[in-house]
Amino acid sequence: MSDIVELEIKKLNFFYSGGIATLKNISLPVYRNSVTAIIGPSGCGKTTLLRCFNRMHDLYPGNRYEGEITFKGKDILSKEIDLIDLRSHIGMVFQKPTPFPMSIFDNIAYGLKLRGTRKKAELSGHVEKALKHAALWDEVKDKLHSSAYALSGGQQQRLVIARALAVKPEVLLFDEPCSALDPIATAKIEELIQELKKDYTIVIVTHNMQQAARVSDKAAFLMMGELIEFDKTDKIFTNPEKKITEDYITGRFG
Amino acid sequence: MNRENVRKLNSRIALSLSTIAALSGLFWLIFILGDVLVKGISALGPALFTNDPVPPGMEGGGLKNAFVGQLMITFFATLIGVPVGILGGTFLAEYARGRKISKIISIFSDIMVSIPSIVIGTFIYAIIVKPAGHFSGWAGAMALAIIMIPVVLRTTENMLSLVPWTLREAAFALGAPYYKVIIQVVYRGAAAGILTGILLSIARVAGETAPLLFTSFNNSYFSTNMNEPIASLTVTIFQYAMGPYDDWHKQAWAASLMITIFILMLTILGRLAIRWRYGKR
Repeated sequence: MSDIVELEIKKLNFFYSGGIATLKNISLPVYRNSVTAIIGPSGCGKTTLLRCFNRMHDLYPGNRYEGEITFKGKDILSKEIDLIDLRSHIGMVFQKPTPFPMSIFDNIAYGLKLRGTRKKAELSGHVEKALKHAALWDEVKDKLHSSAYALSGGQQQRLVIARALAVKPEVLLFDEPCSALDPIATAKIEELIQELKKDYTIVIVTHNMQQAARVSDKAAFLMMGELIEFDKTDKIFTNPEKKITEDYITGRFG
Repeated sequence: MNRENVRKLNSRIALSLSTIAALSGLFWLIFILGDVLVKGISALGPALFTNDPVPPGMEGGGLKNAFVGQLMITFFATLIGVPVGILGGTFLAEYARGRKISKIISIFSDIMVSIPSIVIGTFIYAIIVKPAGHFSGWAGAMALAIIMIPVVLRTTENMLSLVPWTLREAAFALGAPYYKVIIQVVYRGAAAGILTGILLSIARVAGETAPLLFTSFNNSYFSTNMNEPIASLTVTIFQYAMGPYDDWHKQAWAASLMITIFILMLTILGRLAIRWRYGKR
């Protein structure tokens, strides 16, 4: 984990189109080459917070941000930000695997093609690298041109990670990436996240306390849209500052 | 009788009645298809496809003009109707999703599906045939296209709505603009369903007679000029079946058989397409 702050969230408020604040005055730094876990009970705003980082909320009319998120010296919440560019720097992996209805190769190449890479040889090189990076290459190298739907759930999730990696983002957002997977597939993804943080900055939303403890360096505990506590994961899990954090982590509620 | 026996008796009565209903429907279907098959086959021959009509009483006439005309009208109707239907369905399911305009158009489109096709024929007669001063193949193709549009539009809309939102979000998250998300990801996911809709809409119009009577009319001579009246199988069947000559009746049966087979093939293809999904192992 480096000391460089990759994403700086400053006094972030977020409102869904109904107008009620879903995130209230959230400030926290996300350090480069670290895994930051966002934890908290259902409906506390974890996923909402994560989706601010790549402006996913812009897909739906009426949503509103207040405050600032600084990335590479720029406020990514500003109107001038080119979302297509932003999303190539900040990738996202969803709760359920989302392979596109095309071949494994084309899935990985999709983001590259969007950015204008057309040469077959160049694409092949990037696809192989991304698949290796996502620890999927050995399992799929002989069937790159068969459907991505033929893969198992765990493989699909690694495929989606590879697809996000292929466009060389700096930050990867994971929205409960293992909640649809079995324990073995989960272990593989967690291992992969550990491996990926050497090259990327990772933010992960998880419901699973053990998972947060296993994979993350820093943890942010959210409740009712407010940041209750943010610290090193060890500290949050062994000696939290606030009683309510301890109650949640020990399973007394939530 | 105790209650259990009453229930059993009721069940048997219901079962018998529904079986009889199903069988009587099936009986007429088989009766009609059988009749068309038997009477049609006897008039089938190479001359039917290679020769143009000859005056009644002469030997060796065929319906080449009607086959070619039918294919042309259907082809151009598809060419006009399918893109409009697909784009309209895309608008409803994607750009106007959840908005009031989408609901309203859907409802009107459903109403359009059930408008009697002869009304569409007279409509085209009023706006194209009358001002132009003559019947034409284009008018026929337009009439059929208008019948196809709501069918294609609604299936496209439904099929696109079945593609999960998370798939679109995943494409957005990679930095894709909306039109690319639709063309490259959503259309692929819905391809089989949309194709089925197209095939069924062609099957729907291939058997239409009423809208062609007022538009493309008929032509006893071979013509591929879409600006002129053009022959079609359905109108020819209508004319020949009403006519006084035995030869005409025979050819009408043969044409009926061919058009039935054509529609049957389209329907079967449509069914197969529904089963075909991208990447099914």
